[in-house]
Amino acid sequence: MDRSTQPPDAPSPAPATPGFRINEDWAATAVGLVLILLVLAGVIVKGMIP
Amino acid sequence: MSQAEAVGTAPQAVGGEGAARWGWAAGSLVLLLALGALVRYLDANVPVWLADVNWIKSVEFPIYAIAVGLAAGAVLGALGVRERLGAAFRTEFLIKTGLVLLGASINLAVIARAAGPAIVQSVVLISTVFLVAWWVGGRLGLDPKLRAVLAAAVSICGVSAAIAAAGAVAARKEQLAYVASLVILFALPSIFIVPWLATTLGLDAVVAGAWIGGNIDTTAAVTAAGAIVGDEALQIAAIVKQTQNALMGVVAVLLTAYFVFRVERVPGASVGLGAIWQRFPKFVLGFIAASAIATLYVGAAADSKAASDVVAVAGSSLRTWFFILAFVCIGVEFRPSALREAGARPVAVFAAATVVNLALALVLATLLFSGFQLA
Repeated sequence: MDRSTQPPDAPSPAPATPGFRINEDWAATAVGLVLILLVLAGVIVKGMIP
Repeated sequence: MSQAEAVGTAPQAVGGEGAARWGWAAGSLVLLLALGALVRYLDANVPVWLADVNWIKSVEFPIYAIAVGLAAGAVLGALGVRERLGAAFRTEFLIKTGLVLLGASINLAVIARAAGPAIVQSVVLISTVFLVAWWVGGRLGLDPKLRAVLAAAVSICGVSAAIAAAGAVAARKEQLAYVASLVILFALPSIFIVPWLATTLGLDAVVAGAWIGGNIDTTAAVTAAGAIVGDEALQIAAIVKQTQNALMGVVAVLLTAYFVFRVERVPGASVGLGAIWQRFPKFVLGFIAASAIATLYVGAAADSKAASDVVAVAGSSLRTWFFILAFVCIGVEFRPSALREAGARPVAVFAAATVVNLALALVLATLLFSGFQLA
């Protein structure tokens, strides 16, 4: 059997629902938008970013 | 009830393990930030140190970041601590946060105008490249599930699409790991080769951005390559790539339906459209929201120049930091051994689809984005 087409280990289904990916998407959205709002509110200013 | 009590283990031991885990996570974050600071230092000082070398001025921060990441990955691997120090090295989270911040630097009207050609380009590219990879995979005798995961990865958006496709067709996790390795192997050189080709071919920044966004698989690699070409190319590359990302849900549903009804022939099965929302990359909404917020803020300001400068703190300065950290992660996570693990035939399929992707994306980018104005 060719390793390139048939990985040798017993079948183990991949996760059916990428839950972590969705959480990561929302986390990135929340962090990004909060940072933008902090910048617009003047809490984070240019001099604070090295 | 604590986890330790719930599973009946000694609370002190679990507490010790938890503290150690937090310690490694904190160390990981400090290391990542230190590597990011090193990249900033090199980006600012190498052109000064090597002032006589003309080409060094064209070396952009993604190249320093990936080089620093590769070196750090090699050292951490040699010390045997790469896995334990991996907690903060979250490429996907960092790149997605950076893309949301990038949204603040793009006028909402530009996104609206670019959406039409970006959707046309994405639909043609995804369907053509997917079918080419599927066909070549079939000719080379690849397992249908591996073909599906590989074709989704090479035609849509790399590892994220591979995960979605693996879920849709119930692929084995080994197959997913296989394809994820391939994606990274092809993405890393493309970060350098595609911008070089774009410059050599004399492409306009917007066309170069559309080409990069259309043909490089992973969002992180698209961002790195776009940043190497310049800010205008980066903006268009990000819009095109996120359009492809947004179509991932549609492809996942079509794949699920194909495998349920044609390959596995499950009696009485149904495929819900809710899967489209489940697979939809939600950070795209953050990108659009950031653009809308910044566009409204600048539009409502009495001094739009001053307002644009404020927005640039998020849309440029902070964004650059997130991208630097993400590109460092790309370097750290790169494993040369993945090539051996992947085997020859999937590599051949991926390479064939990549060549088609490269050529077709260039034609489409030239047709759809020539003359597109960002301002």
